Amino acid sequence: MTRRLAEALLRAATRRWPAEYRDELGREWSAELHVLAAQRQRLRMLRYAASLAASRPDGPLAGPRAVRGRAGRTAAALLLAPVAGVGIVLVSAVVMAVVVNGFLATTVSWSTRAQLPLLTVLTAALALLLARFAARWGRRSALAGPLRTALGVMLPVGVTAVLLEYVLNRGTQGLIRAAPGLVSWLTLLTLVLWGASALAGRGRVRAAWWFGVLGALVVADVSVVLTVVNAIPAGPQTVVDGLPQADTVDRISAPLWLFASWTDWSFGLPRPTPWELFLITDLVEVQPYLYLAVSPYALAYAVNAARSAPPADAAPPEGLPA
Amino acid sequence: MRITVPVAKVLAALLADPGAECYGLDLMKVTGLPSGTLYPVLHRLQSAGWLDAHWEAIDPAAEGRPARRYYRLTPEGAVAARRALAELRALTTDGRQSWGGAEPTGAPAW
Repeated sequence: MTRRLAEALLRAATRRWPAEYRDELGREWSAELHVLAAQRQRLRMLRYAASLAASRPDGPLAGPRAVRGRAGRTAAALLLAPVAGVGIVLVSAVVMAVVVNGFLATTVSWSTRAQLPLLTVLTAALALLLARFAARWGRRSALAGPLRTALGVMLPVGVTAVLLEYVLNRGTQGLIRAAPGLVSWLTLLTLVLWGASALAGRGRVRAAWWFGVLGALVVADVSVVLTVVNAIPAGPQTVVDGLPQADTVDRISAPLWLFASWTDWSFGLPRPTPWELFLITDLVEVQPYLYLAVSPYALAYAVNAARSAPPADAAPPEGLPA
Repeated sequence: MRITVPVAKVLAALLADPGAECYGLDLMKVTGLPSGTLYPVLHRLQSAGWLDAHWEAIDPAAEGRPARRYYRLTPEGAVAARRALAELRALTTDGRQSWGGAEPTGAPAW
């Protein structure tokens, strides 16, 4: 696997050199790779190939920079945006803590109740800002086709989300607890992006946005529900020494759980009760905010990438795949 | 030939034994340069005529591995490299950087 990946990187590296040098360079680099492989130096193999693939040949040997530029910008956007999404949640949490503890706690009685709504507003505002940039990056995307775009957006998001859950939960136990929600979110949002991208590619941009926004909300809601259902029983409550432990969450309010997590509010309805709200928000913690931070970026990128792509029936430019 | 830090490192490594033949991984190890920096430098040096490259004379089937490519300073390249490094050394006053073992003292600080 490592060898194949390194060989793929070498092929990409040779393509960036002028044609007259490619055969010799490819042969030379493959021979060096063979030496590293024989010594079972997998990491060095990857570093060797990745460095060649990432650097630009100098001066008169310079390869096709435009291709590298577009692909490089696409890769940079798709890899960095999920990290920016995590950064958005962190920055919002810090700002929320400063505002609540530094100002509201001493001036109003409802400062505790303001925590989650404030975190949601800050996260949403920064997520929309990221989405604006993502729309611009999407218009210059090197990815072609709705499925490829959806996978290109969601694979780095998935890796980032899994790493985040692993770090936050300090190990695999917490990750396993979060897995049903996370896996369903990643899978279903990929499908939503695929659909939205396909609609935008056919010129139905308004429909793409509606489908994408509603789809992303439903997907996030389903994911929170799956996480809660997987971890908290519906009833009956555990009773210890005659006292009910309030360790259950009634499923009747399930569709509201995502929005209740964002607002710490049950919208005037009898359920979820304040105690159920506590159990839900304590369990899902960062997931609803991660969904809020990343989904606008993902959708904006996918829709704009599809909008700027040439029509499906148009002949592709020479030398490029259809 | 524009003598950048990577170029100087490669020249210094090759001058450590001007008659010796080195392959890319050797030079990466001695100079500490990543492959993506080293190979463009090697090609610049070849284009300038300072460096000669040739394929290892083996039978890949018998050896069970492909032939590797070796590099060696040309006689003119060795002279030019010595002169270039001496000029660099003269331009600097303080030596702190290692040149892959070829410049034990007085190496310029970059």
